[in-house]
Amino acid sequence: MRSKRGELGATCARLPWGRMSLLFRAILASVALTSQLFGAVPAASASEAPSSAAEGIYAAAPPRLLQIRTLVVDAARQTSTGSGFLVSADGLAITNYHVVSQVALEPGTYRLEYAAADGSHGDVTLLGVDLPNDLAIVRLDKHDAPFFAFNKAAIEGTGPQKGERLYSMGNPLDLGFTIVEGTYNGLVEKSYNERIHFTGALNPGMSGGPTVTADGLIVGINVATRRGGQLVSFLVPAKFAEALLRRVSTQEGTPNLRADIARQLGAWRAALYASFAEAGFRSNALGPYRAPDSAATWFNCWAQTNMGAKPKPRARIDTTECSSDTSVFVAEDLNTGAIRIDHSLVTAVELNQFQFASALTQQAQPRLLTAGPLRKWYTSERCHEDFVRAVPGPQHPPLRAIWCARAYREFDGLYDVSLVAVTQDDGREALVSRLSLQAVGYDEAVALGKRFLETVEVIR
Amino acid sequence: MIWVEILSRHRDVATRLRLAGPEARIGRGYDNDVVVDDPYVAARHLRVFRDDAGRLVVEDLGSANGMFLDRGRERFERIITDGKMPIRIGQTFLRIRDNAHEVEVERIVPVHSGRRRLVMAVALGALILGVDVLKRWLTETGEPRISHYVTELLAVAATAIGWVGIWALLARIFSGHARFLSNLLIALAGLLVFTFYNEFVQYLGFAWTWSVPASYEYVAAWLLLGMTCFLHLREVGSTHLWPKGLIVTALLVTAIAVQTIQRSEAFSASGRQGITQVLMPPAFRAVRLQDQDSFFGEIAALKATLDSDRAKARPDDSGRF
Repeated sequence: MRSKRGELGATCARLPWGRMSLLFRAILASVALTSQLFGAVPAASASEAPSSAAEGIYAAAPPRLLQIRTLVVDAARQTSTGSGFLVSADGLAITNYHVVSQVALEPGTYRLEYAAADGSHGDVTLLGVDLPNDLAIVRLDKHDAPFFAFNKAAIEGTGPQKGERLYSMGNPLDLGFTIVEGTYNGLVEKSYNERIHFTGALNPGMSGGPTVTADGLIVGINVATRRGGQLVSFLVPAKFAEALLRRVSTQEGTPNLRADIARQLGAWRAALYASFAEAGFRSNALGPYRAPDSAATWFNCWAQTNMGAKPKPRARIDTTECSSDTSVFVAEDLNTGAIRIDHSLVTAVELNQFQFASALTQQAQPRLLTAGPLRKWYTSERCHEDFVRAVPGPQHPPLRAIWCARAYREFDGLYDVSLVAVTQDDGREALVSRLSLQAVGYDEAVALGKRFLETVEVIR
Repeated sequence: MIWVEILSRHRDVATRLRLAGPEARIGRGYDNDVVVDDPYVAARHLRVFRDDAGRLVVEDLGSANGMFLDRGRERFERIITDGKMPIRIGQTFLRIRDNAHEVEVERIVPVHSGRRRLVMAVALGALILGVDVLKRWLTETGEPRISHYVTELLAVAATAIGWVGIWALLARIFSGHARFLSNLLIALAGLLVFTFYNEFVQYLGFAWTWSVPASYEYVAAWLLLGMTCFLHLREVGSTHLWPKGLIVTALLVTAIAVQTIQRSEAFSASGRQGITQVLMPPAFRAVRLQDQDSFFGEIAALKATLDSDRAKARPDDSGRF
């Protein structure tokens, strides 16, 4: 378990395939010759029974499958590609928001195009998005085309069963339409946003493609894989796509997508922080201290110590780190909404008080979690620092606390905040506690900060 | 008896001539009593004689370029000289004096002053190196290595000696004396003040939660450097102190302005303050503990700043979400 920790810490971010296909574009020329081999992979295992199902599904799928391309208007060349699929006879199709985000945010600079399996292609209009669930609905100039239907059990939340075979389709790495066999593994645990855990080889470019049961009905939409994992992939449950489809079918005209994205982000993160605040903090023992952790179920926590290090460290540092896997994709260069709580118990082994304070200085620098380019998305950071005692009483240690915050340039009422508190009750032992909140409302952050500091206690 | 002194550009005596006659002639030609090798001086330029009252009078013999007092622009035909103000012909400065010219009273040789200054310099140097070592040791969080200390000390010492060496060389060139000890004392005093200031600022930042001096530490560093340079320049030559002061001030203002612009640009580019929050032992705290409400009251007030930052970052509403 511990060996996985590093990978997880570094790669729990979702993998937007639109962007990934951009990265792979450079090597496309070199893989062009071998692309037939890729196409042959499903056929190679065709002798087994479930794969006959795959053959059947794949035989029926092509007219329903799409490749969605984002093109630079002036250059008329694709900048990223993803997948999509038709869900109505009059040309409505579903894909991921992150496949079409550039068009949603900068409609003047980018435009969309679809390419079908029969080689036809044409313009695509973006009708609506679901930012938290990374979905988008587009309209094609196609009529009376065959389309995919939703799996009823998946919409109602009763199916499929763990271990059931699923078939995922899309156009990986712009190599051609492909079908991938995999297994349904239920919903991802410890995840705030509902996602299906699909064990199958999804690749960049398959974003927005459908995943179906053996009878060809939609269960989920391909959305991400875990970097460093083996076949660990994620799907958006079909019920969100169905809800979005219903919403868009009834809407009149096309909404202002930028405003809608800001509104959806605001609403989603308000719900996130409401549920974070409702779960509250629970205190966790760390040496003589009690440190606040979130009681919400969607946090991943890890511990770390430097005691095994050689040469023997002169200050012992035991760290716990809880992070929520809650970032949403807003733009190519902005995934935001993560929450993190870190605590380090620092104990002097061979250091005097001054040396210990220097060691603490390194641990206690305020750092905001950055989710995108600074100048594009954020204002400058502002900090306030002071000595504070959260609650009178000997079990509440004096704290040296620093609060740093910055605003999002484009989103009114959204801020990134980091609160670091260092206990000041002992010259050779201290707890460094850090609360980092992305895309939080300012007053919510202040209220959470208060409760966070109140929960820091010492028992000697 | 007439004494003629030809001066250097720094008004030091380059040549001193004793003329026995009642009258002296000065010019470029070899029929003069004093020959001046200056292409801007006439072949027969000046005549020096005594008037009825016995005063020394300098007279222009009709030169093209004329005769002036020191750097003055007023041309004189005739000057009754007091022996103090230099007379300029062409690019040459002269002083005319007679035997009766009064000189300053004898200065008393300072006893042991050289040794006392040497002791002071050694003490200052030891203090600076000591503070450096102590600072290094107090911020040491890994394994202490003697080589780190030695390297740092050698670097500080080499820099100080190099700096003093340059000023001593300049002083030697321009005033003839290196004044190594004086320059060393000036440099060490500057360094010591900076070392203590640096520590003091960090103390203010932690104990008094007052971080303004830390943010403007670079200004103090430049001021200190400017003052040190001015004192060095005074050692090089004690004339023209006003222009020297002005030059140092101008350089100082430029340096501070450039760095201020650089920092504000770096801040708006990175959005980070670029200050390290230094922690010290808890016993150093000098202010009262804030209660929760006043602490978060200050924090709530930051919101207005952030919102105005946002409004400034987004002057027009085009392309807005």
